[in-house]
Amino acid sequence: MIASTAPTSVADAAWLCALLQAGDSYYPTGAYAHSYGLEGMVQLGVVEDRDTLRAFMIDSALPALRQVELPLAAHAWRALEPASPDWEAVAELCTLTHALKSAREPRFAAENIGRQRAELLSGLHGHPLAKAYLERSSAGAWAHSTAVSAALEGRVHGAPLVAVLSGLTYANLSGQIAASMKLIRIGQNAAQTLLTELLSKAPEVVAAATEVPVDEIGWFNPWLDIACARHETSDFRLFIS
Amino acid sequence: MISAPATFHGQLSLGATRRSDGRTVLSKQAFRAPFHLSKPYWDFDTSTLLVQVVNPTAGILSGDTLTSSVQVGPEAALLLTTPSASRVFCMREGRASARQTFKVDAGGWLEVLPEPLVPHRASVFDQTTVLDVASGGGAFYADLLYPGRIAHGDAWAWTQLLLRLEVRVDGRLVLRERFEQSPQSLLKLAAHAGFGESTTFGNAVFIPAVAESAPTWRAALHGLQGDGVWIGVSQLHGAVGWSIKFVAADGVKLRRTLAAVRNVLAAAAPHLRCDARKL
Repeated sequence: MIASTAPTSVADAAWLCALLQAGDSYYPTGAYAHSYGLEGMVQLGVVEDRDTLRAFMIDSALPALRQVELPLAAHAWRALEPASPDWEAVAELCTLTHALKSAREPRFAAENIGRQRAELLSGLHGHPLAKAYLERSSAGAWAHSTAVSAALEGRVHGAPLVAVLSGLTYANLSGQIAASMKLIRIGQNAAQTLLTELLSKAPEVVAAATEVPVDEIGWFNPWLDIACARHETSDFRLFIS
Repeated sequence: MISAPATFHGQLSLGATRRSDGRTVLSKQAFRAPFHLSKPYWDFDTSTLLVQVVNPTAGILSGDTLTSSVQVGPEAALLLTTPSASRVFCMREGRASARQTFKVDAGGWLEVLPEPLVPHRASVFDQTTVLDVASGGGAFYADLLYPGRIAHGDAWAWTQLLLRLEVRVDGRLVLRERFEQSPQSLLKLAAHAGFGESTTFGNAVFIPAVAESAPTWRAALHGLQGDGVWIGVSQLHGAVGWSIKFVAADGVKLRRTLAAVRNVLAAAAPHLRCDARKL
């Protein structure tokens, strides 16, 4: 039995609904067009069925979230303190997002999804923090980052760090699982079963991610990097990344 | 009384500059054990100065700290290599660390081509590498990793292995990599891809003096895939260079792949034709 540990006030409904909106597949971030390397792993025969997908998600996707995307978002959320944003730190995290990705396609995904999320946020809510971010980003030619934009959303909506990281976890995992349904033979129920298992690990992944210092952000899976690199020049592909 | 084992705080500082006759020379060299240098060899055919950094001790031991700094000046060309694998030995306690910094000025060329790193059982080692290339400079940096003494059945048994690589071009961060997986974690990933216990790793960065967005050599490198070798080439952040990753089923295939990579890239960077084994 899972005990309820989420006392919420009515005021929490605002940021909760806003994060649900930002994580919805209906929200036009373009994330649906990316498999985050999964298609490359399918092309190279690493992921070919339900069991190999599960192994990939548990041994690669979850650690990458824990050691890269979530720590980036956590540090960005802290730097984006609305009363006194540390813009220098935010800029460094945007650069770091791209420097951590040796293959071009994951950077392309971070750039496009990150920019779209930030622009949507500013356009839909007109929040001064979002506007300031876009102005500084444009003036400084910052690279965009999905993780930083997720943190920005959290700050604009007043969401706590754990909620932001949970939202990012869900969006990342569900995005890859959704992509898998187009790439391998796996049904909706099996996909949801796997997603449920992965999400059950979210508490430990999120908790660990909040403790990763900036200079310890990083994760190494050379096979995934190679798959992403080769996917760029693939003759046939369904996904941008 | 048993004395404490000797530890080294090795330092190496090199500066390569171009002389008026066009040759590259070591205009600055300072080193302290365990670092030692071979006599530099000028390779006429490729106009490259070949220098071997020798560690006359058996390998890296607990307590060792190694610091090296190499700078290549304008129009100079240097190939830095090692004659044998860097073994990181078993450590009952303590750790060893290395920090290496490579700087290349505009017009300069640096190739760093060490023999493989071999972490033994219960070793604790961290290595930080910073490659800083000025615009108009060129570099090829390659790191090879064996998971231990494969032939002896003593592999995938390090206690901690941390390899950090940071690449900057014109001061701008374009790549930061961090390898810190446990042997078990990495073995799982290897198994997913059909690789076994003799898996070896290659990680290279190529910064050409003149950036290309769609070089013809890329397809040739991707063509090396197969027969127990995976290889992927992708452009770095800022489109200033390339990441080249390769994984091989064994050490022989890894070396063969690296040789093939250098051979293919030599069309774009002729200094890569310099034979690192001439000494």
